[in-house]
Amino acid sequence: MIFRTALLATSILGLVEPALAQQASPIWHYWGSGAELASIESVIKLNNTNHPDTPVVGEVMPGNTVELRRQLQTALLGGNPPAAYQSAMGYEIKTFVDAGQLRSVQDVWDEVKGDEIFPDGLRRVMKIGGVPYAIPLNMALVSNIFYNKKIFSENGWSAPKTFDELKALCDKVKTTGVACLANAGGPFWSLYNFYAPLLSVVGPDGYFALASGKMPFDGPEFRKALKLYGDVYAANYISNWGGKTWAQGADDVVAGRAAMYQMGDWVSGYFKDVKWTPEKDYDFFPAPGVGDAVVIQVDALATPNGNETSAAAAKNFLRTAASTEGQAGFNRHKGSVAANLQTPDDIYDYIGKKTSVELRAAANKNAVMPNLFFLLPTELGTELGVQLERFAADPSDTTLESVVSTLETLRGEALAQNAFVAW
Amino acid sequence: MTNYKPAPWERNARLVFGLFLFTPVVFFIIFYIWPVIETIRLSFQSWDGLSPRRVDVGLRNYQVLLASPRFYHSLLNNVRWLVFYVLMPTGVGLGLALLVNSLSRGQGFFKLIYFLPYTLPPVAVAAIWRWLYEPSAGLLTRTLNEVGLGFLARNWIGEADTVTYSLMAAGLWWSVGFSFIVFFAGLRNLPLECLEAARIDGASAWQTFTKVTFPLLWPSTAIALGMSAVDAMRLFDIVWAMTGGGPAYASDVLATQMYDTAFGRLKMGEASAVSVAMLVISAVVIMPFIIYMARQVERAENDH
Repeated sequence: MIFRTALLATSILGLVEPALAQQASPIWHYWGSGAELASIESVIKLNNTNHPDTPVVGEVMPGNTVELRRQLQTALLGGNPPAAYQSAMGYEIKTFVDAGQLRSVQDVWDEVKGDEIFPDGLRRVMKIGGVPYAIPLNMALVSNIFYNKKIFSENGWSAPKTFDELKALCDKVKTTGVACLANAGGPFWSLYNFYAPLLSVVGPDGYFALASGKMPFDGPEFRKALKLYGDVYAANYISNWGGKTWAQGADDVVAGRAAMYQMGDWVSGYFKDVKWTPEKDYDFFPAPGVGDAVVIQVDALATPNGNETSAAAAKNFLRTAASTEGQAGFNRHKGSVAANLQTPDDIYDYIGKKTSVELRAAANKNAVMPNLFFLLPTELGTELGVQLERFAADPSDTTLESVVSTLETLRGEALAQNAFVAW
Repeated sequence: MTNYKPAPWERNARLVFGLFLFTPVVFFIIFYIWPVIETIRLSFQSWDGLSPRRVDVGLRNYQVLLASPRFYHSLLNNVRWLVFYVLMPTGVGLGLALLVNSLSRGQGFFKLIYFLPYTLPPVAVAAIWRWLYEPSAGLLTRTLNEVGLGFLARNWIGEADTVTYSLMAAGLWWSVGFSFIVFFAGLRNLPLECLEAARIDGASAWQTFTKVTFPLLWPSTAIALGMSAVDAMRLFDIVWAMTGGGPAYASDVLATQMYDTAFGRLKMGEASAVSVAMLVISAVVIMPFIIYMARQVERAENDH
């Protein structure tokens, strides 16, 4: 009898539990472990406390933007997309909007005063045709150069302010048997390093002109930026960088094999994981040439059409994500800077505070530059990354000509298809 | 004694066969034939994988593909992998099987050791080898430095000249277990009287291997060769997880190009054209093997 009752109770619980779980609307993301998972889970927990009637649950889609996009394509075709998902910015959003797959977030944006709390450069890449389609969670800067403080202090070096100073410093670094700059293989890292020389040649307006297809890739400006990148960066990278991941590049700095590393500020999280202390063991300076600007990588949340039952949950989740509480929880764990500039600074460590100050200064001068990769039509952005990696490995005139020719051909095709966006 | 009346389905064997076949045939059509037809149809269209609208573009996707140096480079890499996979895992697997078969003790241990890598998911294999290949402090480079062979160290997966060969070494470590186990099973089933006859006739070990053992192992060899060829043509996981086809397309194969074109660049039509090309090329490479195997099975059935 007792056994039967226990069995019945278990069966009922078994039925009730999935029913409760079904009520929670799914949020798809690829922050699969560690601090990243803790960051999104903190927003989910806050949301479920503030909005108990519309709970959400995080679902990890292992991989990256491309893998998540593939899962979304299938879910959208099957008519069962999540309530919201982790999205990149700019063209990534535009592709979904053009296909009629994204819901406008105008009402939440107005409610949270999106035009006031998010910096200008960030607002531009959350909107398509003036309508916001995503709520940004954070900003990670990719235009800062991190350095090994011990190597710098032992040799009496200071942070360079111009490319000439950086080049001269690299010459000094190399005489000590240490490589000047770490780097990593793949289509992103060399490209992100290239933004500083590019900005120094074309400025913020030229950067957006290139992003919107108005500036040619085979013109004098782009060639000059490539040459500068070749002279200052590619010539001073650690040997064998092409076979390393970004984390292995960070290991080179920690092990003293390289003195500096221009990398997104997530590298600070990695340094801390290997027991380095910010300010004591490492610090950063803005890459020469960017001037008042900063270049940002962004994580945002977008809400797809086609799942009307979770529309209210999605909206409440976006409200939570945009709030200073939500942004503080997310960025405290992730180590990035909150997209909502009203988020208090006390959540940051030394590196976060310094980055936040840098970002606010850039925001005040309308010089927050979104990652060019996500401003260009998808194929052109991807190819730009591949070609920059190629040029970084072989910064010769022959490769330069091949790079500009390949990119200019794709720009022509994108222009013919009217694919560019005037961000 | 009751009169046994067979049920209708028992009286009609064809109906029974049909009923049993119905479900797998329906599944085969839905999950295999239909996607192939849909992929062929999509290869004549332009679609970003998101929009509800597809645009017919005729042969344009194929024209773009045939004019693309990346396609020929990927195809060449697939051919390299084909040659490598047909020769190396098969040859090394055979060698290991002969060695282990000759052991009087510890066969179980070595079977486990050699087959274990094959049980790992390719992504895990990629993670292990990515760590081994780290060019500054990775195990391979460090070991070479320690034994005074540092001049042999390379930027294993970071240079266009070496990347595919480095990936092949990882692929060999992963896949040799399959050939090994196939050959080992074949060796265990060899008719002992043939080997005994060779020994009595005074054949040397080499003569016994070339004139008796290897010819008798032909069914195992055919399976190992065929499966290796299939693995080479559908190769994706190890390359994608280790290099993503890079640096700058250097290690691209057709499957990684297809995946990047479809989901990295949202060009489903062009990616489908790559898929169709893969299907045709794979068919040309693998069909002779399938025809051969089908004939062997038919002959074996007739012999019985």
